[in-house]
Amino acid sequence: MKVVCDRASLLEAINLVSGVVATRTPRPQLTCVKLTAAKEGKGGTLTLTATDAEISLRLRVDNVDVEQPGETLIPADKLRQIISAEDNEPTLTLEASGDTVDIRGEDAHFKVYGHPPEEFPAVAEFKAAVSGSGGNPPAKAVFKHPAKSLSEVIARTIFATARENTRYAINGVLLSRDGKKLEMVATDGRRLALCRATLTEKDGPSVKCIIPTKALTLLQRLLGSAQGDVDIAITDNQIFFNISQGESGADESAVLASNLVEGAFPPYEDVIPKDNDKMVHVDRDVLFSAVRRAALLTNEESRGVRLSFTGQDNRLDLSSRAPEMGEANIQVDLTDYKGEDVSIGFNPGFITDALKVISDPDVIIELKKENKPGLIRSGDDFVYVVMPVTLQ
Amino acid sequence: MQQAVPQPSSDAPGPPPPGDRRIRRLRTLLVNQIAAGEVVERPASVVKELLENALDAGATRVRIEIESGGIELVRVTDDGVGMGKDDLPLAVAPHATSKIETATDLDRIATFGFRGEALASIASVSRMSIRSRTASEPGGWQLDIEGDVVGAVRPASGAVGTSVAARNLFFNTPARRKFLRTVGTERTRCIDVVRACAMSHAAVAFEALVDGKSVLDVPPGQSPRDRALAILGKELESEMIEVRADRYDDARGLSLWGLVGKPSTARATARAQHLFINGRAIKDRTVQHAVGEAFRGLIEPGRYPTAVVMLELSPEGVDVNVHPQKTEVRFRDQSMVHSVVLRAVREALAREDLTPSLGGRLDGSGRGQRPGSATEILPGGVGGGVAGGADVGTRGFVDFFKRAIPERAQHRLSYDAVREAIERVERAGTEPAEQGAAQTGTPRAEVPDAGRGFESSAEAQRADAGAAALPAPVPAHRVLQVHNSYLVTQDEHGVVIVDQHALHERVMFEILYARVSEGVLESQQLLTPAVVEATPERIERLGELAALLAKIGIVAEPMGPRTVGVRSFATLLFERGVDPVEFMQELLDKADRERFVPDSEEALREVLDMMACKAAVKAGDRMSDDELRALLELRGEVERSSNCPHGRPTSVRLTISELERLFGRS
Repeated sequence: MKVVCDRASLLEAINLVSGVVATRTPRPQLTCVKLTAAKEGKGGTLTLTATDAEISLRLRVDNVDVEQPGETLIPADKLRQIISAEDNEPTLTLEASGDTVDIRGEDAHFKVYGHPPEEFPAVAEFKAAVSGSGGNPPAKAVFKHPAKSLSEVIARTIFATARENTRYAINGVLLSRDGKKLEMVATDGRRLALCRATLTEKDGPSVKCIIPTKALTLLQRLLGSAQGDVDIAITDNQIFFNISQGESGADESAVLASNLVEGAFPPYEDVIPKDNDKMVHVDRDVLFSAVRRAALLTNEESRGVRLSFTGQDNRLDLSSRAPEMGEANIQVDLTDYKGEDVSIGFNPGFITDALKVISDPDVIIELKKENKPGLIRSGDDFVYVVMPVTLQ
Repeated sequence: MQQAVPQPSSDAPGPPPPGDRRIRRLRTLLVNQIAAGEVVERPASVVKELLENALDAGATRVRIEIESGGIELVRVTDDGVGMGKDDLPLAVAPHATSKIETATDLDRIATFGFRGEALASIASVSRMSIRSRTASEPGGWQLDIEGDVVGAVRPASGAVGTSVAARNLFFNTPARRKFLRTVGTERTRCIDVVRACAMSHAAVAFEALVDGKSVLDVPPGQSPRDRALAILGKELESEMIEVRADRYDDARGLSLWGLVGKPSTARATARAQHLFINGRAIKDRTVQHAVGEAFRGLIEPGRYPTAVVMLELSPEGVDVNVHPQKTEVRFRDQSMVHSVVLRAVREALAREDLTPSLGGRLDGSGRGQRPGSATEILPGGVGGGVAGGADVGTRGFVDFFKRAIPERAQHRLSYDAVREAIERVERAGTEPAEQGAAQTGTPRAEVPDAGRGFESSAEAQRADAGAAALPAPVPAHRVLQVHNSYLVTQDEHGVVIVDQHALHERVMFEILYARVSEGVLESQQLLTPAVVEATPERIERLGELAALLAKIGIVAEPMGPRTVGVRSFATLLFERGVDPVEFMQELLDKADRERFVPDSEEALREVLDMMACKAAVKAGDRMSDDELRALLELRGEVERSSNCPHGRPTSVRLTISELERLFGRS
């Protein structure tokens, strides 16, 4: 294998791929990235593949000149460090012979010992996943969705996932596709975020799966610059995302595959309250600022901020109190609160988390009473349930 | 009980003919022997009764001789008032006493003996000889009793006072004799009794000879502190903390003085605990428990702190007529006694910096003096420790190499002192006149002294010394995290090594405890209950636990025959990533234990211990510089941060002088 690469493109690719390289593993092969050079027409491509056995990422770099096709397996962190350090070089030459790779710049020559490429685990391709291969049945569901919208749905839910919870299911985000409806849901047991989008596809089979947070975080990075649609294929135990750089549907310039999280996601429809009878519109930025300021006088043991809505004054008072620290009181004028007075405590972080991902300035808060779940809505797409805290 | 020498007695019929089952009065000897079974269990009881008689007789010097563990001989000689010729036979008659007359006297017993059965009981199971002389008589008298054969009172020589010898204990009741332990054990018990008695009577001289060898010889007129240390061992001097309580409004006539040992002196048995009420050595679970509670978190469970606790309360406040040996008492207001003891010991401990030192130096230079190390490293050293410094250093040097096991040394930097220093610096800011004084060590007399009534001047000096050592709030030193588990930093005494988990746990505990004392912990509701599996028995106990759970921010209720649903969980635990299911499971395990009383202070502390442990950073957790600093700053802010709630130390210190010794510079 011998390729001449644009250093900047290669650096971008290796940085993305490094996100899935296993760090602590008894198998040194998993700390490696597989480089595959192929001639295509006039130019060629270099594909970087990495996996940590749960998630795998295949990334294609087009700005390369393939002198000799082939493949090699070399430690990802060394490759990344070298590419990153050679910052005076516009191009780098990678040449593999046997298990070693020579990386050459204008004034530098690195020889890096790698492993035989066959020792790298097989990473399924998108097409193969769709049609089924190697004894695997074809995907249960295949659909596509605009990258921008998918990214938004992920951003509006992923923040609410649990971390290292023993209920593994809630460490991931639930994806549910039912006809033209796409829903993603995340919860950590204390709040729940649900975001909807409408698929452009015709009807298809309904499917539900839980995607690990880490995979979605990586996907977000890949979606950052992506235009067009993302192809999604869901098999029994994996999900595949094919992100195209151009218009073309399945050119596999970046394919992310992830194992699904097993387990039952909490019955989220049941926890979304239907009978919250006190409703008020607030401006997103005004509320965000008020909550953030009230949160200044909270601490680990006294996390709650009290939100008191008074109908007569059409006002919202936010107050907090941390023993041995102090108290805060913030007033917000409301425009349309006509309901009974209600006072409820919330973890301010849970509210600001949601406000951060809401783009519409108009935010709706729905409440029932002090010890009942609160609801935050934005448009028809975003529903956020947050459980109250019992204040002292 | 077997009767060795059956002899008819005037007020009781003879032995019943076989088969005769009529009810009859017991003969006197038998009555006394039965009574003796309660009063005189073993030689130590003889020692105790005789000592108490001696003290009741106003002795200023008491001499105790014990042979063969007291089985062969117990002789107690005093210089008290003595008895006249006519009193001697009465002394050994049952229920004859000079100490009470009517039942109302029982309500205010101020003497040790009062039941009037001690001498008679001992006499009934030994060969007793009493020799006594009053000051008004030119000569003394002697009376010998063997079983119930009372000899004639005959003249004898001797000094003013009384000497009672009991020989061949249980010679006529072989069954009882069989129950005696080895001579060694009985001897130890006898010595314990003497030591306890001597401890509570600092004004009286005690001399104890065991098989001819002196085991105790203390002069009269000692202070309680000197006496206690003389008996506990001088080497403990720097390890003991003085406890006093005579200032509590709710103490209602109860005052307390005592010495408690630093956590390092805790022992596996309660033998090193000496409890006294009105000078009477007692065993009392209330007091013992209160002392143990005060040490909770400072010593490992199952160990007992070394402690001398002397309570004084009006005779009406305590019933000592509960047990023939008078080792158990009943308080009129048990919870008041408990809380006074607990508070006094806790406060005394809180005033101390209990950080153990790595090195093998004992301060030893007397209470209240600052350790030499601190004096050496502080420019312009102040306070009373200067003179002792060099001496201590030298001795420490020798000790350091003599001892293989590091001894925990005392370091005096109390929270009080720090706070006082800060306050003084703040004051100094507004009162320039005081500034100079603050820097050079304000003499105690110039400092307003409200609310510190009982503290000795030595302590006061110490506080001042600490104050002067800290001209400003402790500057943030560089902190090094070692192996993501230990923090290394410095303070004014030297290098401090902190166990990050233990310290954080300690800090958490104190914060939680303070919160819970004010109200309940903040609680976060869950979207869906966290499901915990539990046995039906445990589910049944949930009701009892509800109040405790509510206090710590948990709402849990039965969900099914074998499951409990946690509906609400403490915010703090969530913040710290504690899993409700695991926590609840563990809590139920804890609550299952027999000794767990859900509404007790102990249970609350136990549960908070658990919370603190779960919520604290773990060994191996990487901490940012800010976190490290924040944690160390909290170290000073919580009481006794030097031990985690489980009793392990949170930090150890290597003082400058120890470092100097290690590097051969001193």
